Amino acid sequence: MALKTYEKILIYLAWIAVLLFFLTPIAWFWALALRPQATAFAMPPVFFFQPHLDAFRYTFLDPGVNAPQLRNSLIVALGATLLNLPFAMAAAYALSRFRLRGKRFFMLWYLSLLMAPPVVYLIPYFILMSRLRLTGTYFSMVLILQTLTIPMSVWLLKSFIDEVPVELEEAAAVDGANWFVRLVKIALPLTLPGIVVTSMFAFVFSWNNVVFPLVLSNQRTMTLPVGTMNYFATAGITWNYIAATSVMAMIPPMIIFLLLGRYIVRGLTFGAVKG
Amino acid sequence: MPSFLLLVTLIIYPTFFVISNSFYFWNLQTSPVPLQFVGLKNFELVFTATPFVDSLRNTLVIAFVGTAIEFWLGMGIALLLNAGVPGTSIFRSLLIMPVTIAPVVTGFLFRYMYYREGGLVTWLLLQIGAPVSSRGLLGEESTALASVLAADVWQWTPFAAILLYAGLLAISDEIKEAARVDGASGWRMFWHITLPLVRPTAAIFIMLRFMQLFNMFDLVLVLTRGGPGTSSRTLAYNLYQEGLANYNIGIAAAMTVLIVLSVTLLINVYIRIAFKEWEW
Repeated sequence: MALKTYEKILIYLAWIAVLLFFLTPIAWFWALALRPQATAFAMPPVFFFQPHLDAFRYTFLDPGVNAPQLRNSLIVALGATLLNLPFAMAAAYALSRFRLRGKRFFMLWYLSLLMAPPVVYLIPYFILMSRLRLTGTYFSMVLILQTLTIPMSVWLLKSFIDEVPVELEEAAAVDGANWFVRLVKIALPLTLPGIVVTSMFAFVFSWNNVVFPLVLSNQRTMTLPVGTMNYFATAGITWNYIAATSVMAMIPPMIIFLLLGRYIVRGLTFGAVKG
Repeated sequence: MPSFLLLVTLIIYPTFFVISNSFYFWNLQTSPVPLQFVGLKNFELVFTATPFVDSLRNTLVIAFVGTAIEFWLGMGIALLLNAGVPGTSIFRSLLIMPVTIAPVVTGFLFRYMYYREGGLVTWLLLQIGAPVSSRGLLGEESTALASVLAADVWQWTPFAAILLYAGLLAISDEIKEAARVDGASGWRMFWHITLPLVRPTAAIFIMLRFMQLFNMFDLVLVLTRGGPGTSSRTLAYNLYQEGLANYNIGIAAAMTVLIVLSVTLLINVYIRIAFKEWEW
């Protein structure tokens, strides 16, 4: 169905309105990170100003209180992603390939873990970690993030493994390869794109998680968003610094989502919709 | 199944912990161990000592209203995407940006824009002549919950849009053509052809979003801390407040039991609907 020119123009105008609505808040916060402090709460709002990088310099270089937090965020998110992969891969492979009794039960059980409020796990886990004297460690954060990353990755990876033709593995089985060899030599290479996509999502979810680090980190191991929240406690909230650290926290997920392209829908629905 | 074992160990302890402690009086500030058996007293205290009913009401409002708004706005944008004009992929990549942001950071964005003096949203509302109370949007009981919800709608409507767009793309041209030949167009086409065919996708969206909204915590923490009063307190925030701010572990455990029971009930209802024709 060919559109008339005026219809096209109307659609583009609607697109622009939609984008303005969804991108202005982000742009406004980026501007906050770059604008002179005096204009941050000017009424009416100041749209044009001389941008400068003072807020970034203060938060990440000199004195750079937030620089270690950026590193902590990376350690926790990468750690959670790496720990999650072998576990999720084995489970997803088993659920995709073997005729297990209760397959449906397992899949729904993983899903229900994703659906429960995280605070529910957090309280008992916090007390357990206090008793083991592990609060404040990267390990405690990486471990509890698995309640989020493993279920998500199992679902997502299973959807990718389901697409690899089972015949290849059957042929290998005829040649005498056991399930482990088939997993490592055949399924793994063929699902590599799926593994990369899953890791990217696991990273973003871990990176964006705040509830767990909020309670489990200490001054030395706190992640970037938790560190940002500390600015609210100081007198006369320093919004330029909040914006600078937030912009830094926004960048990695944004880049990852740009790279993910057509896999976004699949990842956000945990593989339920192929996209 | 190693992942199963790891998760079971991660889950069994909390489950055991929560169920046993829901029957004990235990405040972490006064004692490192549970103090005494109190039977069902904690379950009573959940309702009398914490604003549980208010929180439940707010949570249900957020979950139902939020899912509905995000779904219909998203559907509108999905139809725009599906119009088939050049540039759709760029539009889609830009549109998805709010989804990439951590919910806490979304909270920062909106807290800044909601400021009574100098906030962008407040200023825009005043420009179009809408009344904004002197306590600001977040400081007023009547608008706090709606303001929190608006931030979530901003963040997750793009998800609805690209998900439903994927559902629309999957509708084959033959079906649309056949419907058109039969004289269907405009609204009739949408109601009788498009909407039924995106139903499986829509069901998944509604399930995911409803549960995520039901668990809303981060935005509340940053924007209002549940206030003013209890006007924007959600179940998840109420639990956090009782367990990790007041350290009433016994009451928090009893509350957890109640929340998990209601979540399980909801999930089962949804799975019956959303995964009815699912292949395992």
